[in-house]
Amino acid sequence: MIQMLSITDTHSDSPAHAVVTSIVNAIPSPELSWTGWILLLPAISVVLTGLCCALRVKSKLPGWITVLALAGSFALVLKLYFLRGDAGAPVVVHLWDWMNFRWGDQGKWYTLQADVSVYVDSLTLFWLLFVTGLGTLIAIYATEYMESDVGKGYARFFNGVSIFILAMCTLVMADNLLLLYLGWEGVGLASYLLIGYYYKKPAAVAAGKKAFIVNRMGDLGLAVGIWLIWVNYGTIEFNTLFQVWNDMERGVGSFDKSLIPYCLMLGAFGKSAQLPLYVWLPDAMEGPTPVSALIHAATMVTAGVYLIARTYPLFALHPDALATVAWVGGLTAIFSATIGMAQYDFKRVFAYSTISQLGYMFMGLGVGTTFGAAYHTLTHAFFKALLFLTAGAIMHGFAGQLDLRKLSGLRQVPGFKLVSWTMLIGCLWLSAFPYSAGMLSKDIILVQALSGKDHGFVWLGWIGLITAAMTAYYAFRVWFRVCAGPVFYMPGEEAHDDHDAHAAPTSHASHDFHPHAPRWAMNGVLIVIMLGAFATGIPGYMELRGESNWVQVMMAHSSALAGSVQAHVTDVVNFGMNPHQLVELFGTIASLGGIAIAMYFHLLQRKSADKLRAWLLAHNSIRWIPVAMENKWYVDEFYHACIRGPAWIAGHILHFTDKHVVDGLMVNGIGRIPAALGRLFQPLYNGVLQGYATTMAGGAALVVAWVVYRWLTSGVVA
Amino acid sequence: MTHLLAASQYGASHAVTITLAMSALLFTIGLIGFLVRRNMILMFLCTEIMFQAAALAFIAFGRMRMDTGGQIFVIFILTIAAAEAALALGLVILLFRRKETLSSEAWSELHE
Amino acid sequence: MIQYLLLLLPLISALVIVLSSQRAAKWIALIGSTASLIAAAVFAVQFPHWTTGSFWPDLNTTPILGNFGVDLKIGVDSVSMLLVLLTVFLTPLAIAGSFSAITTRMREYYAWFMILEASMLLAFMSRDMIFFYVGYEFTLIPMFFLISIWGGPMRGPAAIKFFIFTFLGSVFTLASVIFVAVRHFDSTGIWTFAIADLVKFSSTQLSDKEQFWVFVGLMSGFAIKTPFFPTHAWLPLAHDQAPTGGSVILAGVLLKLGTYGVFRFALPMAPIGAVECTTFFAILGIIAILYMSLVCWVQTDIKKLIAYSSVSHMGFVVLGLFALNPLGLQGAVMYMVNHGLSTGALFLCIGMMYERYHTKDMEQLGGLVSKMPVWSFFMIIFTLSSVGLPGLNGFVGEFLCLMGAFVAEHDQPSGYPGVLHPWYAVVAVIGLILGAMYLLIMLGKIVWGTLREPHGDGGNGHTEHAASELPTDLNFREIAILAPIALACLAIGLYPKPLLNAVEPCVKEVLVNYPAVIDAYNAKRGLVNPSVPVKHAEVTK
Repeated sequence: MIQMLSITDTHSDSPAHAVVTSIVNAIPSPELSWTGWILLLPAISVVLTGLCCALRVKSKLPGWITVLALAGSFALVLKLYFLRGDAGAPVVVHLWDWMNFRWGDQGKWYTLQADVSVYVDSLTLFWLLFVTGLGTLIAIYATEYMESDVGKGYARFFNGVSIFILAMCTLVMADNLLLLYLGWEGVGLASYLLIGYYYKKPAAVAAGKKAFIVNRMGDLGLAVGIWLIWVNYGTIEFNTLFQVWNDMERGVGSFDKSLIPYCLMLGAFGKSAQLPLYVWLPDAMEGPTPVSALIHAATMVTAGVYLIARTYPLFALHPDALATVAWVGGLTAIFSATIGMAQYDFKRVFAYSTISQLGYMFMGLGVGTTFGAAYHTLTHAFFKALLFLTAGAIMHGFAGQLDLRKLSGLRQVPGFKLVSWTMLIGCLWLSAFPYSAGMLSKDIILVQALSGKDHGFVWLGWIGLITAAMTAYYAFRVWFRVCAGPVFYMPGEEAHDDHDAHAAPTSHASHDFHPHAPRWAMNGVLIVIMLGAFATGIPGYMELRGESNWVQVMMAHSSALAGSVQAHVTDVVNFGMNPHQLVELFGTIASLGGIAIAMYFHLLQRKSADKLRAWLLAHNSIRWIPVAMENKWYVDEFYHACIRGPAWIAGHILHFTDKHVVDGLMVNGIGRIPAALGRLFQPLYNGVLQGYATTMAGGAALVVAWVVYRWLTSGVVA
Repeated sequence: MTHLLAASQYGASHAVTITLAMSALLFTIGLIGFLVRRNMILMFLCTEIMFQAAALAFIAFGRMRMDTGGQIFVIFILTIAAAEAALALGLVILLFRRKETLSSEAWSELHE
Repeated sequence: MIQYLLLLLPLISALVIVLSSQRAAKWIALIGSTASLIAAAVFAVQFPHWTTGSFWPDLNTTPILGNFGVDLKIGVDSVSMLLVLLTVFLTPLAIAGSFSAITTRMREYYAWFMILEASMLLAFMSRDMIFFYVGYEFTLIPMFFLISIWGGPMRGPAAIKFFIFTFLGSVFTLASVIFVAVRHFDSTGIWTFAIADLVKFSSTQLSDKEQFWVFVGLMSGFAIKTPFFPTHAWLPLAHDQAPTGGSVILAGVLLKLGTYGVFRFALPMAPIGAVECTTFFAILGIIAILYMSLVCWVQTDIKKLIAYSSVSHMGFVVLGLFALNPLGLQGAVMYMVNHGLSTGALFLCIGMMYERYHTKDMEQLGGLVSKMPVWSFFMIIFTLSSVGLPGLNGFVGEFLCLMGAFVAEHDQPSGYPGVLHPWYAVVAVIGLILGAMYLLIMLGKIVWGTLREPHGDGGNGHTEHAASELPTDLNFREIAILAPIALACLAIGLYPKPLLNAVEPCVKEVLVNYPAVIDAYNAKRGLVNPSVPVKHAEVTK
């Protein structure tokens, strides 16, 4: 603890921290136009895999096209990274004009300028590195994972992956909010297409739809935020905005200025599955597992974190908004952890853990450590991708089995040894095992929260610590159930594609079933990502040792620089300890305690877990707790009853109104007036010629009579 | 009345007035005949009477305004009446062949 | 001369079709409409005013009723040009889309179609009020026959309702036009129906009250044609009953005649009237967006769903138009073009499916992606375009319309103060969610899921319908119809800049009187615009 104390002391004079105090004006760099290829390569892959889809290519070609394109993008990102280093000045590369027009010459407020151009600062690079890197690895993994779909959905799958990487790169490279919005919706589209990949499963289709629509609700906030920014600042280009925000004072501004961060955060909460818009992410697990790993764990869901980090100067101007972000993050973290503890589908457990970990990231942003948030994003990307990929390997091997009660002792099943041990690494990192990368990144956030002076951030820190214990419990609940213990397994009810010959195992009894172990592509990727997960610990160790590390330097040279330095706090907070000591002690207790409890209930005394559940259910006063947790606190049902239901009923009522009131009563009613009038005079038209003639003569006589009457009364006669 | 007063400026003579009255009388006879008779040939003759009433009015007004236009129109009317008589009588014969009657009431399918 | 050629080509081909045989009719129609497309392309290339907002060609006037100033003046600015291009682009595709669907009285069908094209072009290209009106109204006659002869089982009532409803409104439009022309004659002694003259006269010389009634009169026609919220009752029925080609043109071009009318006549002619009605119409637009989205949600007939969604989408256009600033108007014009493309294409898709399954009921159909992947691909693209996915065309218009409405406040520093409050846009933006909801539900039912087909009609030639010669999935002709639209959607979505540049000067032209009028109006309501220079303080009148 003492050592840690001294480390924080050295922070202030470490060179990297003192360099920049405001965001550097970006340099227009047309010579870097090759960065456009980072976007173009996935775009080409979209086209080529689309062609493969149309030509019904029956080989793994689309998979390798995608892998090549993504690897190319990753190589270009690396090239850019080595060119610029951690601390390069931001650059802007204009690619082509997009939604761009002007109606005056006065500059701001007289143009809407949203071009397809690239803004590269360290934040962009940071995200690009792990998006393209993990994207490539997961694509390689998927070439094997999806092999049973070769010739059917294979090309469609990789088409979706390419769309995703294209959109995600656009999102993080955008130089204006509108292009970011394009990427934002683009990743939503990719998510929609890939969640609904098994389109014959109604659940998958519904989940895709739900993801898109719930994300749209968040996008609404983002759209309004973009408009508010334009209204208030006259531009939506990041570079110009940063310069404006640099010069602004904290907490000053009109009502609608202070509304902007709330709108943006709504978008971020939608995309990153935070309260109250998290409901789509667990359902998104209907997609193929590489998709869950790539999109719904490692990359896309961190877009919200990216958005807030990108507009961090604005958030820094509004401390209340930041506090809201922190609290929403913290509450999401603990809320979804409670659900995660009670799920039996281990992919869902990981999904809730993703929501929970994203909550930590938002907590980090909110309490003021963008470094912590970004670092946690990085470590989480690796260990969560690892967890999902191991889950995928198990699904792949056991015909879609995801129930942790129906699998056991996999580490002794031939071929699953590596999967089990890599999964253990993932679980350790997730449960913030002391001195794992997961612990290092989480602690930065918790220390910052516990050092907070206002907005109840200290409480938030405690919530984070409790959540850490729960996280350790549910992570190891999965591992001890699935990988440890006696060997026992039942194959899933279906293979990962139900129109697939693989579905055969359904009819087989458990003892006939031979799990097929992952081969080199999957195992290799697992190893690489596991190594990556180890490597992500390096910046954390350097931070511990008081050295400047690249994550921190990158944040310090980006729009998120305001929170790039960790709080320099030594005052006593609780129990006679300062935040560092607190987190160190209680974090360790939480992690080990959680693991120990999980070990007792799910490895040593598996029966007692059932007994505990039975006991809880037997007591009426507390039985709601496990029931509610297993039913996800009935949030879906709540939304269904409060939003979808009323809207659906309104739709029926309005449809009825439209048919019978607007169309029936008003339009047809008016339409009936002439007919009714006509019926009044119908007797005159009896079909006999004389009848018509009489009418005509009578009409003429009336006209003559009227004219004569006018004559006589007009006085002209006299 | 104004028109009649105006007509006097053109020198509307007594003869014109009488001719017009004659025209009106003829027209009324034709109209009443058309309305009360059911025999199609007679009805057709009544329309011809109305035609001639109109022609008479043309002559009267032409005389009143000292304009040959009225008489030109009369020649038109006569020509058309002749052509139409040929056509209408042909039609009447056709209709008679269909229903063996000349009553116009036999043809009332137009009513609703 | 190319402009006259463009107008005459469809008429000539209509004549040739009437004189030709039933079998040749469709090919002549296709050739004729393609020739119009080429003529329009030449016209567009020659058009020199893409970025200046002027009309071209400006010189030729052919007096028709010289005494009353009715001259045949043909000329386009870039907005008209875009809509002309939309028309000539969609017509050949709609004709090709009718090849297998129309099996009776083909000569008449294609002849009416070509006449329809000519009258639409006349409406978009005319620079004389009367000729605009002639083209605008004449579209009703071919459309009436298209619906009432080749339509669905309810075609009779649909056609009559369509005709009478839209005709009724246009009478008031004509009355307004004549009123302005008479007032022009009264004060200048010259009869003219030239749009430019009447617009200039009306916007500057008429009193507030006169402008108000002129605006109301003009709008009553355009509102029904567009259609605005309470006057939409003709549309679902007409769309539902029309043959595929008719639906495509109806949704793709005819609806735009209404919004084009608002853009070209109602807004420039009566700024004061428009400003007074802005709130009213913006609310109607919002009601249309939300109400129609909810109605779409419960539809089971896919064609009706798209028809109702058209009303909802037109609500965005209305909102954009009444934002009364460059953003909103740009958005409205972009939305007109884009809605024409994506909704037209959706109707084509539905028609192709209908030819195979003879039902449009989403309860009976489902999971078609496993049988018709190519069709599903196009369906998904056009649906996403309708949803307003960025990168596809729908987004450009939708976003600009909403943004325009959002920034239409009285104290805008953009030089264009507005009348609305940002809340209008915030409420309307819910339409984005609802739009995604009903369209994705539609996709979920009909494209995704397990395969469901109606009984006794596998779509594979099990019936004796002539159309059952079609293959399971789309044939080459059908792909060739949909692919250009899909490419156009993508191109506009990724590079809308030329269109935005082209529309911008026209928008400025429409809005020329507005900042002053709006400032005066807002001042009357006690809202002062701090950022506008003093010169705007007095209305140019």
